[in-house]
Amino acid sequence: MQYNVVVIGSGPGGYVAAIRCAQLGFKTAIIEKYNTLGGTCLNVGCIPSKALLDSSEHFHNAGHTFKEHGIEIPAPKVNIGQMIKRKGEVVKANVDGIAFLMKKNKIDVHTGVGSFMDKNTIKVTATDGKETTITTDKVIIATGSKPTPLPFAAFDKKRIISSTEALELKEVPKHFIVIGGGVIGMELGSVYARLGSKVTVVEFLDSLIPTMDGTMGKELLKVAKKLGMEVFLGHKVTAVTNTGKEVVVKAEPKSGGTALEFKGDYCLVSIGRRPYTDGLGLEKVGIETVKGQIPVDDHLRTIVDNIWAIGDVVRGAMLAHKAEEEGVYVAEQLAGQKPHVHYNLIPGVVYTWPEVASVGSTEEQLKQDGRAYKVGNFPYKALGRARASMDTDGLVKILADKQTDEILGVHIIGARAADMIAAGVTAMEFRASAEDVARMSHAHPTYMEAVKEACLAATANRPIHL
Amino acid sequence: MALQVKVPTVGESISEVTIANWLKKDGDAVQLDEVIAELESDKATFELTAQSAGILKIVKPQGSTVPIGEVICEIESNGQAVAPVATTPPVSTSSQTPKATGGVKEMKVPAVGESITEVTISTWLKKDGDFVNLDDVIAEVESDKATFELPAEASGILRIVAKEKETLPIGGLICRIEIMEGAPIAQSKTAAPAVASASADKTYAAGHPSPAAAKILDEKGIASHQVQGSGVGGRITKDDAQKAQPPVSKPTETKSAPASAPVISAGGGRNKRTEKMTSLRKTIAKRLVSVKNETAMLTTFNEVDMKPVMDLRAKYKDKFKEKYGVGLGFMSFFTKAVCVALKEFPAVNAQTNGDEIIYHDYCDVSIAVSTSRGLVVPVIRNAESLSFDQIENEVIRLATRGRDGKLSIDEMQGGTFSITNGGVFGSMLSTPIINPPQSAILGMHNIVERPVAKNGEVVIRPVMYLALSYDHRIVDGRESVSFLVRVKELLEDPGRLILGV
Repeated sequence: MQYNVVVIGSGPGGYVAAIRCAQLGFKTAIIEKYNTLGGTCLNVGCIPSKALLDSSEHFHNAGHTFKEHGIEIPAPKVNIGQMIKRKGEVVKANVDGIAFLMKKNKIDVHTGVGSFMDKNTIKVTATDGKETTITTDKVIIATGSKPTPLPFAAFDKKRIISSTEALELKEVPKHFIVIGGGVIGMELGSVYARLGSKVTVVEFLDSLIPTMDGTMGKELLKVAKKLGMEVFLGHKVTAVTNTGKEVVVKAEPKSGGTALEFKGDYCLVSIGRRPYTDGLGLEKVGIETVKGQIPVDDHLRTIVDNIWAIGDVVRGAMLAHKAEEEGVYVAEQLAGQKPHVHYNLIPGVVYTWPEVASVGSTEEQLKQDGRAYKVGNFPYKALGRARASMDTDGLVKILADKQTDEILGVHIIGARAADMIAAGVTAMEFRASAEDVARMSHAHPTYMEAVKEACLAATANRPIHL
Repeated sequence: MALQVKVPTVGESISEVTIANWLKKDGDAVQLDEVIAELESDKATFELTAQSAGILKIVKPQGSTVPIGEVICEIESNGQAVAPVATTPPVSTSSQTPKATGGVKEMKVPAVGESITEVTISTWLKKDGDFVNLDDVIAEVESDKATFELPAEASGILRIVAKEKETLPIGGLICRIEIMEGAPIAQSKTAAPAVASASADKTYAAGHPSPAAAKILDEKGIASHQVQGSGVGGRITKDDAQKAQPPVSKPTETKSAPASAPVISAGGGRNKRTEKMTSLRKTIAKRLVSVKNETAMLTTFNEVDMKPVMDLRAKYKDKFKEKYGVGLGFMSFFTKAVCVALKEFPAVNAQTNGDEIIYHDYCDVSIAVSTSRGLVVPVIRNAESLSFDQIENEVIRLATRGRDGKLSIDEMQGGTFSITNGGVFGSMLSTPIINPPQSAILGMHNIVERPVAKNGEVVIRPVMYLALSYDHRIVDGRESVSFLVRVKELLEDPGRLILGV
């Protein structure tokens, strides 16, 4: 088969790129190794984790907040089998949706491992060993990433597990040990904490979700502790051993001190993800990875003139929506258009409850850049809407330029932060000032009022409700 | 209005400078041309002077390295100074700086004429934030009849409310003037021209394209600084980007599209342009349609052998010019001929007024003048008693004022009969539309040499066709046709004009 564009990998970067290519009139094919489309995000990432996060949150509320709401029920019980089954249905509905979209856009789906023969020829090897060869003018690599294992303890998928297995547990762990207090660790850690597991988080750095604004990490720590999670910051894990019946994790403070030992039934290793290019045959086209990543120029083109790469496999944040933007970007470029991706304005989100979401610069970055800035905070506690729903944890933090009042960063921890951050992105894409946002009407009572109030606080320290 | 001070170009190979020393502090009042900072390049140290007087707002701190063209500080014009000013105004500057009195003069659309209900702001001559003196002309305003100038009703800072091309009713708010006492410093005049052009409502975000606009501009090969943003604070909206024209001189980037790309974009432009009708255009449209609907208009034609007039003109044009300083054109002949004929056929010089007919013992002849904004019809008063040179002078005066948009309403009201000359554009024959409430209009056309029969022989003569459109409700066919024949006679034998026969 001869195509204009072949996309390798059907995650949110790949399938979006394929759809956009098809919309622009290219004859397009997509290659996916697994039997279902959607990649990590839909199958073993964003979507299933959100399904479990919501289920566990409901369980937690039934046991902890219903009574105060005036709902008395017998102590709820977890049916983990049903929870995982429902999660599976959610995933199926989503991946089926992608299959439909491929059909609708007349995109050929080739199932199997895609591997370069040369820069215009790709061999697809199905699981049964059957090989198909397709030729194409252009290629978009969107092969994504895999969880990074600890150098001294490989995933055994039984007790030493990655996020993929953590979404498929058959039982509620008694003691769930999480190595790495980043987004994935905190999300899945909070799932099991709510379901009744004892959860221990060991993080090497001195803050949780260390890439986000420091205030967010601090607030998330408070929330995690409230949920009963045990958190050890600044600790280096030295050994992880599966003894058969349990897993033993040894850690020591990186600044020196007493070593610790934890015994649990599962150890989730969530220290990051690494770009995945295995079996792609990059050597056949002369692409060499750097630290696992495929090097690309500012237009996401590799050193081979007809091959582009997007998403987790290239530089930048490993986020589904970043990959989607890049997918659209490359497709439109191929059609001769000149789109843009503003990397600084790609929001980052943690789906704990309360959620954490941010866009723009962190306070730490502004300090490092020597930028004159001002801060406006507003706590959820002072919000009528938050009190009504008993979601009073969290705050909104607005960073603005000291002189111009331009918003430089929006950081939210609190209920519905993930949805609210879009307003921050909009404001920043149009380079709004804090006062601009403060002068826009925000419906009452909503969580978004906290954003308005924080903007008032940033612009002239004059919040109304504080 | 904050003036952005940028790092000036200091030498060919110098791309950045370091701020060695701020000589003024953030919030200090600075005078025009006062040295405010010392800048260092890799070659030399030089002084940065204030490009306007006002309050200094430092953007780049001491020691920072700044590329050429970047903003390093802002100077907030006096008068609307920010809070810190109060703490440090040096006495020397405050004495010659205008002081805000706190008073605000609201300027509203004045009543400019009886039948005028709305006006359009055609041009702002002053910018928002400019200092204006009492009676300074700040804007040109256009009604359906005339353009007039709007003088400032107070001295102070201009705050524009109605944008250019906006239409306002009489009494509508045009602008506010924040009244100031004291003479204005010459800030706006002395500032470097490049800086002065910076619009008053520019902010840090001026010229920032929206996400969609950025893509469109890139595809058109237009840099965002080449586009005037119409969004809040000077932001470039999607609409701005769509309307932006690529710079003419720059050849478009011919990056060859991938050979196999199946998307074909057609080369030819298919742009459409939508403009708001001016008040003048709306009025023209309304009135022309109503004339067609409300009168019984028809047209009678005749032809004039122009040779006698042309001969007379050829014979005397130099002497005429010498004596009166104005050229002898055809308009004076036609106007005089029309006046004589109007006296003889008063119905053609009359107009309806409800159930009554108004007859005029004088001839106020409207002449149609084409201007860039549309047709205007100024009036030659008492044309019947004017001499040839007076008519020629009046025609030139009125036409010039018309083209400059300076005709007053008085100058365009009250004509009793109109003359229009489509001949200047090459029209051979036309049916002019009556200029209401008048009852008739004479159409002149081009002069073409035609074979005509004279005394049984074919001769070549310069001929003009004449058309008279008239309102048959009050002008009978006998009168209109006779009127036109009379005009023809007078022109073909100009001696009759003198004798009145």
